[in-house]
Amino acid sequence: MYIMNHFSATDSAKIKRRDKTSKLRTLSYNPLKLSSLTIAIAALSGFFVSSSPVQAKFNIPTDSTASPLCISGQPRCAAPFTAKMLMFEEFGTQAMPNESNVATLTSGMPGVADCQSTPVGTALDTFLNEPIHPFPTRKANDILPNAWADKIKKDCGLLPTNLSGVLEGRPGGEQFAHQRWDEFMPQAYFQSAMTGARINGGLRDKYQRHGYSIGEFGPGGLYHLDNNSTKGTEVKIHPNLPAQDPHSVWTFDGTLPPKLLMARYGEAVLFRHYNALPIDVSANNGFGTHTISTHEHNGHDGAENDGYAHAYFYPGQFYDYHWPMILAGHDSINKGATDLRTGAPDGYGGITPVPGDWRETMSTHWFHDHMLDFTAQNVYKGNAAMMNYYSAVDRGREPKDMNEASGNSSVGYGCHYANPNNANLCFPSGSGMDWGNRDYDVNLLVADKAWDNSGQLKFNIFNTDGFLGDRITVNWEYKPYLDVRTRRYRFRILNGSVSRYYKIAIVDESGNKIPYHMIANDGNIMQYAVPFPNAASAEGALPEQGIAERYDIVVDFKNFTGKKLYFVNLLEHENGLGPKRVVPLVDVLSGKYKADGINGDPVVGKFLEFRVKGCGSKGTDACTDLSMNPADYVEGNKGDKQMIPVNRPTTQELQAAVNRTFEFGRSNGTDAKPWAIKTDGGIGLNMDPHRLSAAPTLPDAPDGLGKVEIWHIKLGGGGWSHPVHVHFEEGQILYRGGKTPTPWEKYARKDVYRIGPLADSTSSVDMAIRFREFAGTYMEHCHNTQHEDKTMLLRWDIQHPGETIAVPTPMPEWDGVTYDVSTTLPTYKIGDLKAKAAFVLPK
Amino acid sequence: MKRHGVVVYLKSSFIFTVFISAMLILGGSPSWAAPKGSPWNEDYFPNVKLTDQDGKSFRFYDDLIKDKVVAINFIYTHCGDTCPAETASLRQVQRLLGDRVGKDIFFYSISIDPEHDTPKVLKEYADKFRINSGWLFLTGSKEDTTLIRKKLGLYRDGVEANKLSEHSTSFMIGNERTGQWMKRSPFDEPKTLAWLMGYSLSNIKPSRKPNQVNYSEAKQLPNMTKGEDLYRFRCASCHSLGKEDGLGPGLQGVAKVREKAWLRRWIKEPDKLLAEKDPIAIDLYNRYNKILMPNLRLNDADVEALIDYIEANGNPAQ
Repeated sequence: MYIMNHFSATDSAKIKRRDKTSKLRTLSYNPLKLSSLTIAIAALSGFFVSSSPVQAKFNIPTDSTASPLCISGQPRCAAPFTAKMLMFEEFGTQAMPNESNVATLTSGMPGVADCQSTPVGTALDTFLNEPIHPFPTRKANDILPNAWADKIKKDCGLLPTNLSGVLEGRPGGEQFAHQRWDEFMPQAYFQSAMTGARINGGLRDKYQRHGYSIGEFGPGGLYHLDNNSTKGTEVKIHPNLPAQDPHSVWTFDGTLPPKLLMARYGEAVLFRHYNALPIDVSANNGFGTHTISTHEHNGHDGAENDGYAHAYFYPGQFYDYHWPMILAGHDSINKGATDLRTGAPDGYGGITPVPGDWRETMSTHWFHDHMLDFTAQNVYKGNAAMMNYYSAVDRGREPKDMNEASGNSSVGYGCHYANPNNANLCFPSGSGMDWGNRDYDVNLLVADKAWDNSGQLKFNIFNTDGFLGDRITVNWEYKPYLDVRTRRYRFRILNGSVSRYYKIAIVDESGNKIPYHMIANDGNIMQYAVPFPNAASAEGALPEQGIAERYDIVVDFKNFTGKKLYFVNLLEHENGLGPKRVVPLVDVLSGKYKADGINGDPVVGKFLEFRVKGCGSKGTDACTDLSMNPADYVEGNKGDKQMIPVNRPTTQELQAAVNRTFEFGRSNGTDAKPWAIKTDGGIGLNMDPHRLSAAPTLPDAPDGLGKVEIWHIKLGGGGWSHPVHVHFEEGQILYRGGKTPTPWEKYARKDVYRIGPLADSTSSVDMAIRFREFAGTYMEHCHNTQHEDKTMLLRWDIQHPGETIAVPTPMPEWDGVTYDVSTTLPTYKIGDLKAKAAFVLPK
Repeated sequence: MKRHGVVVYLKSSFIFTVFISAMLILGGSPSWAAPKGSPWNEDYFPNVKLTDQDGKSFRFYDDLIKDKVVAINFIYTHCGDTCPAETASLRQVQRLLGDRVGKDIFFYSISIDPEHDTPKVLKEYADKFRINSGWLFLTGSKEDTTLIRKKLGLYRDGVEANKLSEHSTSFMIGNERTGQWMKRSPFDEPKTLAWLMGYSLSNIKPSRKPNQVNYSEAKQLPNMTKGEDLYRFRCASCHSLGKEDGLGPGLQGVAKVREKAWLRRWIKEPDKLLAEKDPIAIDLYNRYNKILMPNLRLNDADVEALIDYIEANGNPAQ
C-alpha cells in the first residue's frame, strides 16, 4: 500500500482529475495492468480499494495510501523525534457566577458567514470569555431560540420560517432534567465550543493553574512557553506538516494543545458545550458529523449527562453537562463525610471531606463524542479531551520536604508512605501548588492517524471492520520528544485510537528494558503497584491496551542523565479487526522487523522519545524526589502497604446477583453476517436507541449499598478483538478467560473489558458491578468505535425500584427533541438465569 | 417554543397499519450547492452500468446515487433464507417512507449472482414481493457489482469471494450529496431505519411539527415475552397476527388450523418440509407467490415461545 512514497504530491497534482474515474475503474479490477500513472491517480483521490491478486497483508492505513511525511510547500519532511510534544492545556474552571449578575448578558454564540463555516476565532474567544449565560437550568433551556436560527432558516433551509429551534439541545422536560441538581448545584463551570481547527488565540492562558510561573511551567522550566501563552499554536500534526483545515479537524475550542479538565471531588462541574460546527453536514472533508453527544468516560454522573448516543445536539445549540463529582457509595458509605481519605484538596493544604467510598476514587478520565453511528469519525477528528480527578489520595501534590511528607505541617500534604494515617499517596507531580501539579504528571493521548497528500486528516468511512492510521501521534504530534528530569514521573497513558491496540515497552538507547510500575488501570488507582517487566507480561511491556483504556505508570529517570529513552509499540495489526501479534522487542529494535507498511505494520516501533536532563540551572544536578516510590507498594511488600484497596462484594451479594450475558460476535438466525450483541442468550441485535437490553435497579432503600450484578462478557468467535466498555460504574474482574486475573486486573477496577484472541485479552470476562446514586439511560459497547458505530452498541437503563415506564427515547431534530416510547428485551429485568445457575463464584 | 411529548407508540406499526411521522413527509431542500472536497463523490464511486428488472440501463453513480438518499443492499434471488427476510424487512421501511420513495429516496437491491439473476428473474422476484416504485432490482457484470460492494465496504477479500451465502447482509444507507453513509442491518427496527433515511440523512426541514402527546400519557412498557420479541424481529415483516395477508398468510387461528407437530416443524425447518414435498408446505409456497419461508435457525424453545405468543395474540382485535 505504500506505493505513493516515491511519487511527490506535485507530480500527482499535475494529472488531470477528470481522467481518473474511468481509468481507476477499469484498472482496479485488472490489477496486472496497473501503471505508475494510474496508481498515482488512485492515490490522488486518497482512497481506493485494493483488488490486487495477492491481497496486501497490511491494509494500513485502512483502504488507503500511505500518509506522506514530505508535503510539497513545506520546508522539510516530518521526521521522528523532531517535534516537541505538546503538554495538555487546561480548560480551567471558574466559580459559578450569581444568577442575577449574568441576567443582563444577552450575547449569543457568534454567527457564521455561511452554512459551511465555523465562527471567527477572535469572536468566539470573546464570547467564551464572558461569564456563562443564560444561567444553567435543571431542565433543558428550550425556551430560547437556536443561536444561529436565522442562518439555519434563511440561508441553509433546515428550519421552516415559523420555527426557531432551541438554544439547548438537551432533551426537554423531566426525563433529561439534571438529577439531584439542587443537591449537587454546580460550583464550577467551564465552556467550550466544538469547532473547526484554528490558531490558538490564547483564550485559556489565564486559566492555567500553573500560570506559566510555577515549577516546570514557570520560566526556566521544561514546559514553559514563551509569552506565557499558547497563542499562535496551530493545529499541526508536526511543524513540517501543514495546518489542518477547519473541515478536517474539529476539536474543543478548535485549537491545540489538546484540552484537559482538572476537577476536584465535591466540586460539582458544569460543562456548557457549544456546538459551533458547520450547519451543512457535508462540510466535513469526508468524515465526521456535525451533531454531537459528549460522554464523560467513566463518570459517576446522571444519565442525562452521560452522552447518550441518541441525545445529540445540533450546530448553534449547547448542551449543559452536569458532572456532580461525587464518589460511588455517596448515599450509603461514609455518609457523614468523616473519613479523611474521602476528600478533596481544599486549596490550603487541608482536605475537604466528602461522603462516599474512598475505595471508589477515580483519577484519569477522558471525555469524547458518542454520536450514534459517528463516534469513530468524530473522535478521530478531534472530539476528545482528558480529565483528571483530584482527591485526598490523589492530590497531584508531592511534599517539598520530609517534614511535609510526615504530615506535620499540612494534613493534605502528608504522604501515606511516611505515615499510614496520611491519605495522600504523593504520586509524582510537583510541589508548587496545593493540588494539580503537572510538572512530573503528564497526560499522554496516543492515537494513530492518516492524512492525504496535502497533509489533511483522512478517514475511510466505509470499512467498518475498523480503521487504522499509519502514523502514530502523542498529544496530536507525530512521534514527538519530551524533555524530562532525572526523577520519577507519572504518565497517564490513554489509547485514543479508533481501532488500534498498543503494547508499550520502555527501553533505553541500547534497547535495554527499563523498569517501571503500573499504578492505575482505567484511571483507577490499584491496590498494589505492579512492577514491569514481569513474568506475566510478554516482552516486559505493558499489557495490551485496548481503545479507551488508561494505564497510569510511574517511570524513574534517575539513572539516565543525558540519555534518551523510548516508548516502543510492539503490537502488530494487519487490519482493523484487532491486534494480530506481539512483535519481539529485539526484532523491532534490530530492524529485523520492517515497519514499512509492506512487510510490517508502520505503527510498530519507537514512538515517543524522552530526553533526560538533571536538575539545577545547568541541568546536571541530581533532582530532589520525595514522590511515592511504587516499589514500596507492590504485592507482598513489608507491612502490606496498599494504595487503594478494592472493595470486594461479599459472597452473599454475589450469590444474590442478577447475572447478565453479553456476547459480542456474529448474529444468528438468517443474518449470519452482521456483527451484533446477543444479550442473555437472545438473538443477536444491533443498536436501536429505543431498546433497553438490560435494566438494573437502584437500591430498595435510599441508603442501600447498591445491588451487585455479575456481567459475563463473551467473545462470539471469529478472531476479532473487542474492548468492551460499560458506562457509569467500574466493575471488578472475577475471572478472565475462566481463570484468576493477572495482578494488574485482580487489584484494579475497570471500565473497559478486553476480549479477543491474544494472550492479554482471552475470550471471556466475568465481572461484578454495582448501580447506585443515579438512574436513566446508559450504554455498553465495543470501543473499537467502528464496531460500536455499526453494530456493537446497546442501551441499558438504571431504573428506580418498582419503575415500569422506561425513560422515553429522545429523537433530536433541528427544532428540538421529541420522544418516542422505548421497548425492552424479554430478559431486561431478570437477566440470564442459566448463566446464574451455572456460574461458580470465585473463592 | 418546545414540547416534551411522546410520539404515540403504535404497537401495530410492526404490521401494516403503518406509523408515519410527519417528519418523513418531504419538506424543503436546503439551497446550498453540493459540497466541495468530499472524497465520496464521482471520483470514488464507480459509474458502472447496471440493468434493472425492466431491462433499463443505469450508470451507478450518475443515475442511481448522485444527489440522492439511497438504501443499497446485495441479494441473489435463489438465496433461501437471508434474502427474502431482508427484502421483506426493507419493504416495511419502504412503506413507512411512503411516496417519498421514488422521489428523493431510492432503494436498490443489486444481485451478486448476475449470471443467474437476469432482468427477467429479478422482475419475477420483485413481483413476488409486490415491490412499489422507487425500488430497483439491478444486475451487472460480476466485476462491476463486486467493485460496488467493495467501495461500500460490504465485501471482504477472501471471505465472500466464492460463496454467495456468505455475502454480507448489512446494507448501506446514505446521502451522496452530503457524503454521509451508514451501515445498517435489515433487522433493525423499520421505524428507526425510516427515521434515519427520511429525516436524519435527508438533511431536510420538516414541513410541520409531528403530533405530540404528553409523557403522562405514555403507555406502560410492554413487558415483552420471548415470543413477542421473536415475532417482532423475525416474523412481523411478512405475517400479521390477524387475518390480513402480508407477504405470507395472516396468523390468526393458525395454531388451531394446523397440527402442532406440523406447525413446529414448519417454523423450525420450512426448507426441509418443502424439500420433502410436504403437501401443505407446497400449497402455501404456491399460494404466496413462491416466496420461501426462511429457515430462521430457531431452537425448540424459540419455536414454543413463538407458538404460545401467536396463540395468545392471534385474534381479530390485533
